[in-house]
Amino acid sequence: MKKWGMVLLSVWIVAALAACGNQETSGGNATASADAGQNGSQSSSEPVQIDFWYSLGGKNGEVIEQMVKKFNASQDEVVVKPTYQGDYYENHAKVMASLAAGTQPDVTMIEIASIGAFADAGALQDLQPYVEGKNGVDMNDYIQGLMGNSYWKDTLYAIPFNRSTPLLYVNRDMLEEAGLNPEGPKTWEELREYARALTIEGERWGFSTPIDIWFYEALVFENGGKILTDDGKKPAFHSSEGIEPVEFWKSMIEEGIMKMPPGEKYNAWDVAAQDFTNQRVGMIFTSTGSLNGLMEQAQGFEVGTAFLPARKSFGVPTGGTNLVMMAKSSEEEKEAAWQFIKWMTDTEQTIHWSKNTGYMPVRVSAVESDEMKQLYQEKPQFKVAVDQLEYAKPRPMVPGYKELQEVIMAEIQRAIIDENMTAEEAMQAAAEKAEKLLK
Amino acid sequence: MITVEKMLKIVEWTGLAVITLIFVFPFIWMMITALKSLPETVVFPPEWIPETWMWSNFKVAWSSGPFLRYFFNSLFVAVAILVLQILTMVPAAYAFSRYQFPGRGFLFGLTMAALMIPPQITFLPVFLQMSEWGFINSYIPLILPYAASAFGIFLLRQSFMQVPEELIEAARLDEASEWRIMWRIMVPMARPVLVTFGLFSFIYHWNDYFWPLVMTNSDAFRTLPIGIAMLKDAEGGIAWNIVMAGNMILVIPILIVFFVAQRQIIRAFVYSGVK
Amino acid sequence: MSLNTLRPYLMVAPSLIIFLLFFIYPIFYMIYLSFTSWNLISPDKTFVGVANYVELFQSQDFRQVFFNTVIYTVLTVFLSLTVALLLALWLNKSSAIYGIVQGAIFSPYIISLVSVSLLWMWMMDPQYGLLNWVLNLFHLPPSPWLTHTDTALLSLVVVGVWKIVGYNALVFIAGLQSIPKDLYEAAALDEASQWATFARITLPMLSPTLFFLLVVNTIASFQVFDTVQIMTQGGPVNSTNMLVYYIYEYGFDFFKIGYASAAGVVLLVIVGVMTVFHFRFMAKRVHYR
Repeated sequence: MKKWGMVLLSVWIVAALAACGNQETSGGNATASADAGQNGSQSSSEPVQIDFWYSLGGKNGEVIEQMVKKFNASQDEVVVKPTYQGDYYENHAKVMASLAAGTQPDVTMIEIASIGAFADAGALQDLQPYVEGKNGVDMNDYIQGLMGNSYWKDTLYAIPFNRSTPLLYVNRDMLEEAGLNPEGPKTWEELREYARALTIEGERWGFSTPIDIWFYEALVFENGGKILTDDGKKPAFHSSEGIEPVEFWKSMIEEGIMKMPPGEKYNAWDVAAQDFTNQRVGMIFTSTGSLNGLMEQAQGFEVGTAFLPARKSFGVPTGGTNLVMMAKSSEEEKEAAWQFIKWMTDTEQTIHWSKNTGYMPVRVSAVESDEMKQLYQEKPQFKVAVDQLEYAKPRPMVPGYKELQEVIMAEIQRAIIDENMTAEEAMQAAAEKAEKLLK
Repeated sequence: MITVEKMLKIVEWTGLAVITLIFVFPFIWMMITALKSLPETVVFPPEWIPETWMWSNFKVAWSSGPFLRYFFNSLFVAVAILVLQILTMVPAAYAFSRYQFPGRGFLFGLTMAALMIPPQITFLPVFLQMSEWGFINSYIPLILPYAASAFGIFLLRQSFMQVPEELIEAARLDEASEWRIMWRIMVPMARPVLVTFGLFSFIYHWNDYFWPLVMTNSDAFRTLPIGIAMLKDAEGGIAWNIVMAGNMILVIPILIVFFVAQRQIIRAFVYSGVK
Repeated sequence: MSLNTLRPYLMVAPSLIIFLLFFIYPIFYMIYLSFTSWNLISPDKTFVGVANYVELFQSQDFRQVFFNTVIYTVLTVFLSLTVALLLALWLNKSSAIYGIVQGAIFSPYIISLVSVSLLWMWMMDPQYGLLNWVLNLFHLPPSPWLTHTDTALLSLVVVGVWKIVGYNALVFIAGLQSIPKDLYEAAALDEASQWATFARITLPMLSPTLFFLLVVNTIASFQVFDTVQIMTQGGPVNSTNMLVYYIYEYGFDFFKIGYASAAGVVLLVIVGVMTVFHFRFMAKRVHYR
């Protein structure tokens, strides 16, 4: 009995070691070159090694890994070592902790609404000198609508990278079957009617969206409201413009025509996307960054995309992350980091990135390129986000918002889950907490 | 009469089967899921036997991160901790059990205090300390705080106290050094306790999630539990078949060790707790 | 000083240095931090007195987190001890089959909480999970498990109990086996009923074990983290947020080191009180031996 167990154990270990034989070659190389980079920083002929932390898993994460590989192969001055650090929230936590530890990366993705918090804490490097330097870049070529979250107190800290707007995704076949316009609903009320028509009790919901701050912001913007006052010092979401979106969701969920996807934070997004591809829901809100993935996963139906349905007007926040450089890095590392940031967001790369993910190209020249135009013709779904930019606004980015957004989200969820709580009460409660956080 | 007894027997055996199922079936379910294809995981009611056995799930899980590295780190950290713990606890336990010296009670009190302070309380200050010393992103914060074990000293001290004094006196007459007495006489006598402690320590650190989560932010030092937990972050829904395949990698070594040394392990955890 | 007087100190030094550096000193450092305001990266820590504690005790969230922790602990400890005691009385037999069952119920205890959390998260999936299938089998309505404020905390309790109940049962069995047989023989001579035997002999003789488990389980449950971090991240709507996770969140997500430290001190005090309790009891227990 015992011997047999020992044999099993050793077989298991050998199998485990052998299984990675193939992949080990690449992994081994990566560490080998990384070591070389570290040793090399003393002598100037060797490449500079920099760390890049990213926060997209799955397919999109693979695209990032490939791009970094390509960058490393494209020149011999800089070696970038990419590390996946979990989703946006997890990456933020890791970045902050690493700053205290002095093990921070040189470049990382930061979700746009949190840039203020990081800049205010003194973590980020002012990029203006690099933009104007000898390896500079024409900032006018970055799409203006995406630059709103790049500046904090008039200083440039961040370059747009994986940028998105929320979209309405529809299952075109399902809509057609139900006798609805496959282009999707155009207003909140149409969304409600469509959801009602698509719902089959116990089997299928018409509509689903993560109860996330991002979509809430969108609905508030569409309703003509604001999240914070213009100076960013007071909450503004407890007005009727901010309460109605919650009521809208709450009423649809209570009617049973909208599903609140379970799960915390990005888990809920995953559930919504999964339900959509499994045809358990007909329409969802999610990021344009999921477009490529959803189109690939959607079996047996056509995915359509549209603007988020309007209330008083169309309106969305932009989303995603910007690339930032850490203030703590050495001069040499900063030069290298800038080279990498510039490369990752140049016209050619941003086109590649956009095509493979669904995120928007961040360069004007990219949007106008023949390559993108051709893509937009073949797959018009990709163009919707770019067109929607016309109605887009930046996200609030005062330092306290990083925590506040979680408070607002929790209160909205509370209102939706708790039948005895009205949307107004929830938003009042959130506003009270906001007053403290924004001080 | 016999039939009633038989009935009772049947009831009891059914009960035993149900109990066993409650504790064992989740592991079987893990295995079944690990061998399914993704579409098979999202059907309700669930399917019991995968249509084709997707052994490739293990490969996908294993290659979705530097898992060889994680695996090595887990093993290295757990073994290094154990070796250091034994090196530090044997002399300490010997001193506490066999020497009279001023301050002994106080120092032993400190040791017991350390036993009572869980890492869940001290992680924040320890992390900050490690940061100040520039040790984050190395093995040091993973290993050093655990290099001495108050629990181990406590156990070993008890065991050393049972070694007959004459044995030590005889050795001293032979002019054996204290070092020699410690390792050649005391340690062999306390072997069962050391084995017990070794199993306990290894399993604890192999399984540990909290400490490496706080103390690492680079793939080079992450351990297996961190890597496995990250598997669920893939975009577009959790691929439970892949997550469960990864989970198997973490669980199987422990289950095999448990299978081999069930009695010692139960004793390690149960009896060391009671005494 | 001769080598001989120094020797014992040298022997205990390596261990004690580690304890001082990583267990004792951090406690004082944390207490100090709890009186400051610091965001992790700015060079200076501002002294703010008891402001963090005031904020802590005024915070509705902290109150909820505290109660969550208490509810979780009470339920987990109560259920796991009760079930474990019943299992122990049942399985305390020597035939091989009972040994196998004992091994089975113990096995979750040595499995990483990461694995346990992921596994149960999957089984508790509201749409495709095994547990809802089981409920369905008994014609019960499906449960939302981790995804609803009413059930999430209870779901974590289920996982906590499943993980630890086997350990508790085996400790109880060890306790049962250490009860002298002649006590039972005497009871049999007196023709005491089974219940009387249990109430007058088993339970009192088992009380040290029971108390030991009570303390150990309570301290452990109070520090629950892994299941929260992996399965719920404190949600939905903070309904599963508990102390250690709260400290982690404030320290590493919101950069409020002082505030997080203050919460850490509160946890320290609670665990400290329980530990003193434990020690007192250990001292008393000498009488039993």
